[in-house]
Amino acid sequence: MSVAAGPQEVRIVTRRYHEFPEDSWTLERVEADGGYEAARSAVRDMTPDEVLDTVKDSGLRGRGGAGFPTGVKWSFVPKDLFPKYIVVNHDEGEPGTFKDRELGERDPHQLIEGIIIAAWANQANRAFIYCRGEMALGARRMDTAIRDAYRKGYLGKGIFGSGFDLDVTLHRGAGAYICGEESALLDSLEGFRGQPRLKPPFPAVKGLYGQPTIINNTETLSTLPHIIRHGVEWFRRWGTEKSPGTKMISTSGHVVRPANYEVPLGTTLAELLELAGGMRDGGRVKAIIPGGASAPLLTSTEYRLDFESLQEAGTMLGSGAVVFMDESTCMVRNALVTNEFFEHESCGKCTPCREGTWWASKVLERIEHGEGRKEDMELLLDIANGIDGRAFCPLGDAASWALRSNVELFRDEFEQHVIDGRCPFEDEHLSFTGPRAAVPGPGDSGIAAQPHAGVDADLEGPDPREAGR
Amino acid sequence: MSDGNGTVTVTINGRRVETHPGRLLIDVAEELGIFVPRFCYHPGMRSVAVCRMCLVHVEGQRKLMPACATPVSDGMEVQTDHPRAVDAQSGMLEFLLINHPLDCPICDRAGECPLQDQTYAHGPGTSRYVEPKRTYEKALEISDLVVLDRERCVLCWRCVRFADEIAGDRFIQLVDRGAGTQILTFSDEPFDSYFSGNTIQICPVGALTAKPYRFVSRPWDLKTAPSICAYCSVGCPISNEARAGQLVRCQALPNENVNDFWICDKGRFGYHYVDSPERLDNPLVRKGDSFEVTGWAEALRTAAEGLRGAASVGVIAGGHLTTEDAYAVQRLARGTLGTADLDSRIQDDGAPYELMVDAAGVAGSTATLNDLESAQTIVWTGPDPREELPVLFLRLRKAVTGRGAKLVVVSPRRLSLDAFATHVVRCEAGAEAAALEGLRLGNERPAADDVASADALVCCWGPSSPGRDETPILEQVVALAAERGGKVLVCPPHAGSQGLLDMGVHPALSPGYRRPETRGRRTREILEAAASGEIDALVIAGADVLNDFPDAELARRALTSGAFVVVSELFATDTARAADVLLPAAAYAEREGTFTNLERRLQKLEQLLAAPGTAREVWRICAGIAAAMGDDWGWTSFDDVWADINASVPTHAEVDVQALTQPHPVAGPHQESGYELMPNDMVMAGPGGPMPKGHRSGAAFEAGQAWPLSWELRSFEAHLRPGLIPVAADGTGEVGTLTERASATRREPGTFRLLSGRHIYDEGTMVSRSAMLHELAKEPFVALNAADAAEIGLSDGAQAVVEGATSVTLPVVIDDIARGAVYIPYDQPGLHANTLMRGPEPTVTVRPA
Ligand SMILES: Cc1cc2nc3c(=O)[nH]c(=O)nc-3n(C[C@H](O)[C@H](O)[C@H](O)COP(=O)(O)O)c2cc1C
Ligand code: SF4
Ligand code: SF4
Ligand code: SF4
Ligand code: FES
Repeated sequence: MSVAAGPQEVRIVTRRYHEFPEDSWTLERVEADGGYEAARSAVRDMTPDEVLDTVKDSGLRGRGGAGFPTGVKWSFVPKDLFPKYIVVNHDEGEPGTFKDRELGERDPHQLIEGIIIAAWANQANRAFIYCRGEMALGARRMDTAIRDAYRKGYLGKGIFGSGFDLDVTLHRGAGAYICGEESALLDSLEGFRGQPRLKPPFPAVKGLYGQPTIINNTETLSTLPHIIRHGVEWFRRWGTEKSPGTKMISTSGHVVRPANYEVPLGTTLAELLELAGGMRDGGRVKAIIPGGASAPLLTSTEYRLDFESLQEAGTMLGSGAVVFMDESTCMVRNALVTNEFFEHESCGKCTPCREGTWWASKVLERIEHGEGRKEDMELLLDIANGIDGRAFCPLGDAASWALRSNVELFRDEFEQHVIDGRCPFEDEHLSFTGPRAAVPGPGDSGIAAQPHAGVDADLEGPDPREAGR
Repeated sequence: MSDGNGTVTVTINGRRVETHPGRLLIDVAEELGIFVPRFCYHPGMRSVAVCRMCLVHVEGQRKLMPACATPVSDGMEVQTDHPRAVDAQSGMLEFLLINHPLDCPICDRAGECPLQDQTYAHGPGTSRYVEPKRTYEKALEISDLVVLDRERCVLCWRCVRFADEIAGDRFIQLVDRGAGTQILTFSDEPFDSYFSGNTIQICPVGALTAKPYRFVSRPWDLKTAPSICAYCSVGCPISNEARAGQLVRCQALPNENVNDFWICDKGRFGYHYVDSPERLDNPLVRKGDSFEVTGWAEALRTAAEGLRGAASVGVIAGGHLTTEDAYAVQRLARGTLGTADLDSRIQDDGAPYELMVDAAGVAGSTATLNDLESAQTIVWTGPDPREELPVLFLRLRKAVTGRGAKLVVVSPRRLSLDAFATHVVRCEAGAEAAALEGLRLGNERPAADDVASADALVCCWGPSSPGRDETPILEQVVALAAERGGKVLVCPPHAGSQGLLDMGVHPALSPGYRRPETRGRRTREILEAAASGEIDALVIAGADVLNDFPDAELARRALTSGAFVVVSELFATDTARAADVLLPAAAYAEREGTFTNLERRLQKLEQLLAAPGTAREVWRICAGIAAAMGDDWGWTSFDDVWADINASVPTHAEVDVQALTQPHPVAGPHQESGYELMPNDMVMAGPGGPMPKGHRSGAAFEAGQAWPLSWELRSFEAHLRPGLIPVAADGTGEVGTLTERASATRREPGTFRLLSGRHIYDEGTMVSRSAMLHELAKEPFVALNAADAAEIGLSDGAQAVVEGATSVTLPVVIDDIARGAVYIPYDQPGLHANTLMRGPEPTVTVRPA
């Protein structure tokens, strides 16, 4: 690869599908590309504890949002309780995030290989992939990949000729953001209302059907084969001491090339923006959501994208979804749209989130429609404070952070709405929720948008997009 | 209890306390008198921590912690009144109120509502919410007893958790999500539960209300008194609540030994009979074919004359008499009337309670209800507890689903327990003893393995079908328990049944489980002797033998043979109408007294209402008859009766009945309004200064005092009324020689053993006069095995002619019941099943109609 000027992606989990965009999801391609070698050697040549130690040493942190060190989480699993389960969090509900979808659609075997490694390390004989309902293509491809892996003896009884059994079940959710929260996911998987469980006990000790359960994000698991194959030192070549490796950053908003970019952790927002082709129409950055809708806003690109830097900056890396907003964005509307998302997705279990997000939506709507009152900004902050740290699960907290940072950082804009009695951006045709830039980016090839990827899409039926295969 | 588990020291609001690790902060604080506001927490159910009202500051924790879901740990420092916690509490109230309809003026809960109280104490004074509120259709009738107002709901999940976790019927559910979350029933199934009323009581707001109580009273207009449910032998503590002299509400009082926090809907809504216009209010004396109202003096004189003139008297008492009444009946019979022929077993005629005396020294349980919860294995053989002993069903369910006990059910027919039983041993009717022997000898596997391996075993037995001789069954139960070091829970049917046994209203037991000099006749023999003229006078106290004795024809002949009959009753029952002298009795809410429950626990009833007319306690009636016969017992008060019991009944010599009373209020350590009791009977107020005690809900409990009953009812007097089990029984007695077991013989096709049992809502004297419940009574049916039905050409829903002593046409229900037996409910509208029964082991023929 020739070294061009400017920042570069480091493609580890995204390499295969970038190199072989036509068939990266097929078993033939994956095998020819050295797939399943890491899983095979883990199961055949390494003890479970060796795998666990490797993952611990790698410093890999969860890619699903919380950034919890994966090896440490695994070590909480009681060794002597069976059965144990692996659950893949492929729900990807965080607004702005679209990385797991790409991994599921374009490299499902990489995920399965990661599952095998995790299952071996934790001695779990059963894994579930909890797949967001809307992801029809991904579900279809993962389903095919699972069948192919069974056919080859990579899954099922005595995998890779060892004495270890592993079954993988694909489960499609029914479209609730909260079902991405690990304990709600488990309830949903068990067939109940998807609502978070009281912790402790944590899933690692008492999870699915009351058994020890490891829940990991798709990207987290997809990273494992590379760590096993190339080793800890290789993996630590990228990233920072506390956030080693690379991370897929779902980049969107008013940039020239919205897409997933896999970059070393610690890359600055400015570098990411450069990768994405800069702001469209030469616009200037007004606000940045650095880690999905849950993360408090930033107003400058100087920050580094890693867990510790963003935490220091009072926000978070979250699921790694960066949204750049230019000056055409109405921040009241941004707050409203974001809050409406949380209001809609609140599971309703606890008082502050259920009532607080509902109330905030009403107030924001009033302000946006020119009926704001001057005490509304204080009220919004009070609502945010009333939720923050008091909700049952992090969804409520997240809603409050987004709300608070919008009001605090752009208070003048809120006040302007109240004083003018109208939204000053009313006439702008561009806003945060406006049409997406038409320029296809490098990560955008091949897969059309799925306006109505129905939850009921038939898994077995032929996929028109795969007709030429 | 200072066991090896160790203790932890926690500091709450500066006060140090030592307690056990793992206990919830909210409970530990409450014991210190520090009330943490709450909505969702309920001590009888698992914490869910959803309302977030109980957030408190714990030193070292970044976030506020929910006290209801935070176990205490050593060195923990807690501030429930930390400014952050206070801010959170008032913030949470503001959130809850934005969508609350605030229709307090027409809400039944107003005045005893924690949302009101907590808002008063911790809430913001004004609302900053200016948008339209969330609205729902108001007042949905989700069952015949329960009305739901979703606008008032604070989504605390208590009702849902109760239905799911405690009762096990998930009829009330959460639907939708976010701000649209609501409580609802499934559209095609009403909230059809025998325990639905508990959801109303634990609902912290007026979202769930009781149809019979809607718009009936403001809570501060209620006069209340603690009492004990007069229906079944579980003996649930209740609070009777009256307005203007009329019973208008009844709620569960918690006694964690007995009922946890629950009562059944029969206990809760079955009080209407007390105020029924049909109540007998003055004595009646037969004049030819009709009755004449008389004064007590004349009535008692007439009774005394009739009895004095009789050659031989039989005495029968019904199961709803109090312990004092029972003692009086016994004294009247054995003392004044000099007869040995007395019994209190009517539907359970043939139930051999006296067997327990040899084995355990008591004619009753050696196990307590709490023993169920520490049991590893429980064996059940008897009636369907959900129908006949509803809260015992809840305790059994909790033992199994909550505590992991194994349950073995031995029964010829499907019982509600089967749903969660570990093993169901479906034996032929009459072969229960053989099945139990199989358990004992290890043949009945795998159930026997769970029995054999249990360190703590409780064997439960109750009379399974009216009139059966259950001697071989109880013998096996006793032997099984004795051999495995287990305990026996004996389950007689009614609230007064055990007290009647304890006080010797039994032909083979005198008070205190002693053997009388002469063994008298039992109920069947008394009725036979009356029918044949050998007995020429009957005293019947609170027993409708015509409808309850499992041979209606025999009862009819006994009452119409010309014997002189004295009856005391609440109502003019069919039996009462056959009396020569009919004496009106006081109902449970109209008197002081005690009931002895199935674990032999004495619990006290307090008087709330005046009895109608000149009706009075049965003990007073008995003493009156005795006095009229020249035998003056010298009793004028309840305490006089107890002085006599203390002196004459060795098992009860030590019972201090006044200690069961707790006449003085014990200061409730908490007020949910946030106010604290001061020693000078004032409550320390927040803003606004001190107020007189009793001003607000949460005031301490005093019998007869007019105060609004708090929603939680904890730490009130009820908590301090644990009741008393007079004699401990260890149950390691001798097992006598076992009776030869009748082996179940297959009968001819078309001929069946008749099994029966009571259903919760039936034609019983009291419940049938409680309008709301009577409407819920199921129609009678005949249940039989599918193979038996096929053999005689019947299918589910078909009409069958059932012929026993009489003949009746009934719809067929195919059920899981042993072959060769049919089941017909005992007393449903339109059929007294005792009319079909003749002899002790009744059979019927069944054919298509
Ligand atoms: C409201 C909420 C939504 C979440 N949604 C997702 C999701 O869609 N995908 C995901 O991987 N993790 C999600 N998480 C994080 C998970 O709870 C969990 O931390 C993660 O799956 C663990 O995997 P990891 O350690 O590999 O990151 C969510 C958390 C919350 C609180
Ligand atoms: S914060 Fe509460 S209401 Fe919101 S999603 Fe979590 S549990 Fe549900
Ligand atoms: S109906 Fe009552 S008990 Fe049920 S959730 Fe609502 S407030 Fe709680
Ligand atoms: S279980 Fe028995 S004692 Fe308790 S309320 Fe019901 S009928 Fe009354
Ligand atoms: S009482 Fe603790 S959260 Fe509801």
